[in-house]
Order: sequence, then C-alpha cells, then structure tokens
Amino acid sequence: MALIIIIGTLLIAVILSFLVKKGSELFSKIALTASVVELLATLFVFNDVAHNGSYVLNSYLSVDYLGAIVMLIVAVVGLSSSWYSVGSLKVETEHGYIGFHRVKQFFVLLHLFMLAMFFAIITTNPILMWISIEVTTLSTAFLISFYGKPSAIEAAWKYLIINSLGLLIGFLGTLLFSYLATDKLNYGLLTWGWMVNNVSGFDPFIAKVAFIFVFIGYGTKVGFVPMHTWRPDAYSKAPVPIVTLLSGSLLNVAFLAILRFKVVTDLAVGPAFSGKLLIFFGLVSIVVPAFIMFTQKNYKRLLAYSSIEHAGIMALGFGFGGIGAFAAILHMLYHSLAKSILFLSSGNIFLKYGSTKIEKITGVLKTLPRTGILFLIGFIMITGMPPFGIFLTEFSIMMSGIKSYPLVVAIAILSLALIFVGFLKHVVAMFFGEPQKEITPGEANANTFVPIILLVVMVVVLSFYLPNILKSIITSASLMY
Amino acid sequence: MFTQLQIIFLSGAIIFLTTIFMHLVHKNSSLVSLYRVQSFVISALILGSAIEISSILLMYVAIWMFAVKVIVAPYFFNKSIKHYQLKFTSSTYLNTPLTVLVAALLTGFAYSHYFEPLTILAKENGSGLLLSVATILISIFLIINRKGTLSQMVGILSLENAIVSFAFLSGLEAAPSMQLGITFDILVWIIIASVFINMIQNKIGTADSTLLNNLKEE
Repeated sequence: MALIIIIGTLLIAVILSFLVKKGSELFSKIALTASVVELLATLFVFNDVAHNGSYVLNSYLSVDYLGAIVMLIVAVVGLSSSWYSVGSLKVETEHGYIGFHRVKQFFVLLHLFMLAMFFAIITTNPILMWISIEVTTLSTAFLISFYGKPSAIEAAWKYLIINSLGLLIGFLGTLLFSYLATDKLNYGLLTWGWMVNNVSGFDPFIAKVAFIFVFIGYGTKVGFVPMHTWRPDAYSKAPVPIVTLLSGSLLNVAFLAILRFKVVTDLAVGPAFSGKLLIFFGLVSIVVPAFIMFTQKNYKRLLAYSSIEHAGIMALGFGFGGIGAFAAILHMLYHSLAKSILFLSSGNIFLKYGSTKIEKITGVLKTLPRTGILFLIGFIMITGMPPFGIFLTEFSIMMSGIKSYPLVVAIAILSLALIFVGFLKHVVAMFFGEPQKEITPGEANANTFVPIILLVVMVVVLSFYLPNILKSIITSASLMY
Repeated sequence: MFTQLQIIFLSGAIIFLTTIFMHLVHKNSSLVSLYRVQSFVISALILGSAIEISSILLMYVAIWMFAVKVIVAPYFFNKSIKHYQLKFTSSTYLNTPLTVLVAALLTGFAYSHYFEPLTILAKENGSGLLLSVATILISIFLIINRKGTLSQMVGILSLENAIVSFAFLSGLEAAPSMQLGITFDILVWIIIASVFINMIQNKIGTADSTLLNNLKEE
C-alpha cells in the first residue's frame, strides 16, 4: 500500500501541477504536500523492511534492504529540495528571471523526476529499471536548460547525448543478463531475485561482458571518470534544487542499479572481477577530480567534481567489500545529506551574487551569515573532517582495503588531502574577506535556509548516533556486497 | 529461395551497410533516409517473428516500431532540416578514408577473439551476431565522429537499432510488453531531442556541435 501511495502521490502531483492555471503558490503547496507524504510512506516501508527483510507489493514491485536506504535518501533529499524550491523560485520570480510557465514546467518535471527515481528503486524488473532511469534523463534535460541560456541548452544537450549513449550501452548489458532466462522463463517475469536464484550455468564470459556494459551504462549516470564529462556542465547550469537531486539522489539510484547487477555477476564469476572494476574506476574518480578541483574557477563545478570524487570513494568501498561495503552504504547517506547542504547553500550564494564564478564571490560570511556558516559546516563534513560521519566512513573504507590494496589506498588518501587543500583554498577566498559594497547583506527568505539547517541537524545527529534500525538495515544490505 | 537464417543474416547486413553509409553521406536528408531503411528492416524482422510464432502482441510491437521509427522520427528530422535549412551536415572529425579505415578496424575487432565467445548466444548465426556487434561499435563511432547535432541524434537511434538487431539475433529480446515500453521511451526521446535541436538552432544558431562552445567560456 505504501508503494502505491508514493507512486500515486507523485502521479497526482504531476497532474495537479500541470492543471494549475494561475497562482504559483499552489505549486509550492502541491510540492510540499507530496514530499511529506512520500517521506512518511518511505519511513513506513523502511520500518517494514527492517522488521521483515523486504516490503513486497507484488512480484514486480518490492523493496529490499539497500532499496529501502536509497528510498529514504531520495525522500529526504526530495523534501529538502522541494522546500528549498519554494523559497528560491519565489525570489527568481520576484526578480523577473522566470515567469509562471517556467515555475509550472519546473514542478511538473520535478515530480516526474522523483516518480522515475522511486520507480527505478522499487521495480524488480531490470528492464523497467532501465526505462525508469532513462525517464530521469528525459525529465531532467529540460530542467538543466531551465534558464534558457545558450550555455544551459548546450549543457543539457551534452547531458542528453552522453547519458543516452551510456544508458544504451547499459541496456545492451541488461539484455545480456537476460541470457540467464533463455529457455527458462518468459522474459517479462525476469526479476532480480529470479536472476540470483538461477545464476548457475550463466556463461562466465557473457556475465563479464554484460557487467562491463552495465557498469559503463549506469556508471555514466553515476559520473565515474571518464564518463563524468556531462556532470560539471549540467551541475553548473541547472537550478540548484535539481542539482541537489542529481547529486544527492540520482547518483545513488544509478549506483543501486550497478550493485544489483554486481550481486548476479559475483555469483556467476566470483567477486574479484566486479571488485577490481569498482576499485579501478573508483580510484580514477578520486584522483582526476582532485587535480581539477584545485584549479576550479566555478563553485558549482567544484561541487560537481566533489560528487564524482565521493562516487569514487563509494566504489572503492564496494570494491574492497566487507566492512568497506558497510561504510560505502553509510557514505551514500552522509554524502547525500552533506552535499545537499552544500548545493542548497550555493543556491543562496547564487541568488545573492548572481554568479557562479569563485573570483566574483567574497565575504559570504558577512553578506549571508547563516548560509555562510551552513556552507562551512557542509565543507567540513564533505572533506571528511572529524568528528563528522564522512570521516568515519572514509577511514573505514581505506582501512578495509589497506591490506589487499595498499597502493590504491595510499593514492586515494593523497588525493583526498589534495582535495581538502584545493577546496579550502576556494572556501577561504569566497567566505572570508570584505563583502562587495553593492550587495545588500541578508538571506532571501526562511525557505532558503530552514531546510538546510534541518539537513545539518540530521548529519550531526547521525554522525554521533546511528539508530539501531538504520544500523541493522545497513548491516543486512552490506552482507550482499 | 532464401532460408530463414539467410534472410536474418541479409537483414543484419543491410543494417550494417546503412550504418556504414551513415558515415559516408554528407546530406542530412540522406542520413534520415538511411535511418528509415534501417528501422524498416528492424520492424520487418520483428513482424516476421510475430507471424512465425503467431503473436498478436509482437505484431503490435512491429507496427508500433514502424510507426515511431519509420514514420514519426523521420518526420521530425525532415521538419527540422526544412525549417533550419540543414541541407548539409558539417564535416566529420576524420576524413572519409580514415573513417572507412576505422569502420573496417571496428568490424575486424568485432570478429576478433575478444567477441568470438559471444557467438554462444546464437550458435547457428554466429557470424550475423558478430556483424551486429560491429554495427553497434560503428554506431558509437558515428556519434563521436559526426559534428552535427542531428547526426549525433541519428547516431544514438542507429545504436538503438543495432542493439535491437543484436538482441533479435541472439534471441534476447525483451518481452513484447517491454518492447512497447522501450519504443515509447524512444519516441519521447526523439521528441525531446528534436525540441533541443530547435532550441540550439534558435538560441545558438548552429547545428555544428564543434561551435557549441558556450560552456568553455565559463
């Protein structure tokens, strides 16, 4: 029932937002109501999964341990982004940057994007999951070009082509996995569970080729280097609430797809194959952004490269396995919340300064004191400083791999140090120093910082106290990887 | 007369050749015509399969695929070509001899020992299957090598056709209901990508992807 409520609420939200003829306030009410309902239903599902091991609606729709965690992340980040949208779009409308129709387009596509993400998590069929993730590309393409500038349209086109190419390769991999079901099953009934139970006899070569295709396909969506090129462009051009969802939610949904196929591949050819692939791409995705972040000139692109780096850290954790997988799942949670804090705060900086160039931003702490402090907290969290959760997860991931892959761990730690220095350099330049005289100090409205404060509270609490229910679900999920 | 296997191989060969010619033609309208031929062959293969197994649902898939890929998609492309006078695409990154050489190398790679084990998927038609792998690789090369936005779009759709042909030859097609969903997804993709081509033309004034350099300036 809870899954029907989530899907039904989002469908209704899409239709209602489409039908609104005037009054932008209505969009806000629909979005906030839908987000709260989604979160409550997700919490219900989460609780059920913790107690029963899964939440099953029928053979096509169900939620397992990892699915429940990703669902919770999507629901929390979704609520924060929707809430923030209410405040930020109000400011942009007041300034005349956008009109009623743009606001309408934004909310219709936002709900569609959320719907596609939730469906990708709860479907048990790999092809339906592929279709859902493709729908996320289609719904977000127009959101990336939202402001209609030539550079935004170009970023959206790049996003559309690269992701479509990646997803088609992923589709080929998905089809190869259906080889498992040849002569055994009507393909329409192919589910993750069926694949796991019938993996014996899966040709090892086909399994490896299929996983490589799936990894490249969904890895493009995750943003692993070298398939990451769309990410900085799209992140620097899209509205901040959408970027927050791309980084805080969609990244995890695409990762979930890779992990689901990893389970089947590991059973067919052993965990070493997928593990090495994850470690290689994970390391490259940490090293390359480390150098680019150091010389970055745009703070939204800086955060985009940070997302790529954190996807790399998660990949390392899953590649190492064991305690590394547990830490990687926990890292997913911390990263999504901390990155949402940073992106939403960067949205406030953009609203105030009207630029994403680092050189044009000075004295944020004096101009936007609340946002400034929230961003700095987010910076400390995301760079893995103690005592916050990311320090613990990064430390655990590195420790889990140090015996088997000491060189990989050493390179990763050096890169993380470089990232900290590079990030710190930009933060000092932006946040300290004298504010620009022509910019009036003060936050736009409460909706642009209250959701960020709640996210900070959540990360701080979860850094010091992990509820048993969450710990138990993460432990159970990590046993599969 | 031809046997069923020969017909399937011939169809795969036509799809392969259309992809090769997509690299060689310079007119956008020719590119669209080649895509139309390629999609027609795919639809015919699905229709043949539907008749063979007497599946009404699969027949709907073939008709739906025909409508989307042979009628609707070329309509959108030709409309854009006419509206924006996109009579000629901008050139490729590699010149014609080099393009042919790369296509030949990719075909050789598809038939090499790297992909040979894939023939387990279609023991009776292994050669045809490897030809469809070559078509997949050459379609990806098309997306990379052509500079026009419309060419990139046709490249993506040609890759999708190549994958459908690979799935058909290897017997890995998704269930008909899934194929209907996938084709619907392709239709939405075509509409959205066409809207973007129009937006690029209106706001940036070019169909040449090498001239899309607004992002570099920031």
